[in-house]
Amino acid sequence: MRTAAIIPAFDEADSLPRVLSDLATHVPTHEIVVIDDGSVDGTHQVATDAGATCLRLPFNLGIGGALRLGFRYVAEQRFDRAYQFDADGQHDASQVPDLLRGLDDADMVVGSRFAGAPDYRVGHSRGLAMALLRLLVYRVSGQRFTDTSSGFRAFRRPVVEFFSTEYPVEYMESVEALVLAMRQGFTVREVPVVMHDRSAGTASNRNLRLAYHFVRLLIVLVAGGKRRRVRTAGMAQ
Amino acid sequence: MSVETHAVVAVLTILAVVAIVRMVRRGVLKAKYSVLWLTVGLVLAVAASVPTVLDRVAERLGIWYQPTLFLLLAIGFLLLVAMHFSYELSRLERRVRSLAEELALLRGPVSDSDHPTNHLDSPTSHQAEGRETD
Repeated sequence: MRTAAIIPAFDEADSLPRVLSDLATHVPTHEIVVIDDGSVDGTHQVATDAGATCLRLPFNLGIGGALRLGFRYVAEQRFDRAYQFDADGQHDASQVPDLLRGLDDADMVVGSRFAGAPDYRVGHSRGLAMALLRLLVYRVSGQRFTDTSSGFRAFRRPVVEFFSTEYPVEYMESVEALVLAMRQGFTVREVPVVMHDRSAGTASNRNLRLAYHFVRLLIVLVAGGKRRRVRTAGMAQ
Repeated sequence: MSVETHAVVAVLTILAVVAIVRMVRRGVLKAKYSVLWLTVGLVLAVAASVPTVLDRVAERLGIWYQPTLFLLLAIGFLLLVAMHFSYELSRLERRVRSLAEELALLRGPVSDSDHPTNHLDSPTSHQAEGRETD
């Protein structure tokens, strides 16, 4: 079974080497696909030096756009499964096998910070936004998730193929993607994982921006039923 | 409408039409937009030169205060144009995005065994190649 790690990276040359060496230690057989999302700090050089496959975008598309390219590559290369991994050292490479084990009885697995480690801390406004998102996802999908915005996720090939054209590209895309996958008829489940605090770089949680995207997300999720369906044949059965 | 206001409206309209025609002739507008804006210019010109046309149409439609007809039409038209531009913009963004993806895939997945993009990045290798061919 061929497995690929998709690592979207935007100016992560500082934290990437450790992330890649951790992955090489814990999951040496996986192909590492770094998506260089228009970096100017030599991220691509760092990635290739570490022996990773690196796709360079000509300009910054944002995490959703970078992920979509990753899904597309993984789908074209016919990998059996893939997982998303953070370039900033937030995720723990030793948790990858646990995450992938979740794919035994699901099409998509979300690694949750809160299901297993209740002491993972987030700021006040962020915490509130997350609580609201949890409630909303529950109302829309009928399924409870403790960590809707987790970026530590694994996917079977049908989901990869679906996301290679349909992955949402706006900020806070992971919540949208979660609901989208369930609407498409994929089974999604959550597994507890341990995460680190972000080692380098700051989380993009400027409040105003967060508020705007939160409202945008509400609209998308509530109005999502009318979303254009594309190429669904043979995927949801 | 007084003679002065009529003159101001006429001059503005002529300027708008001239600007449209110039842009179309210089080819900075795509044909479909040039048709659109030329039509707008024509309507403006007619309305400015024969102001009674607007009044009579308004009267026929039962609109008491004639300028509202003009405002209604203008706002409705601009709304449609804005919606159309949003649509075009979304479509262009989709295309640019997929072009960026294609480019990244065509550049090729570089790993440490081969660096196909390297010679493009470094100016020294370019110069070296240049000297060889001289």
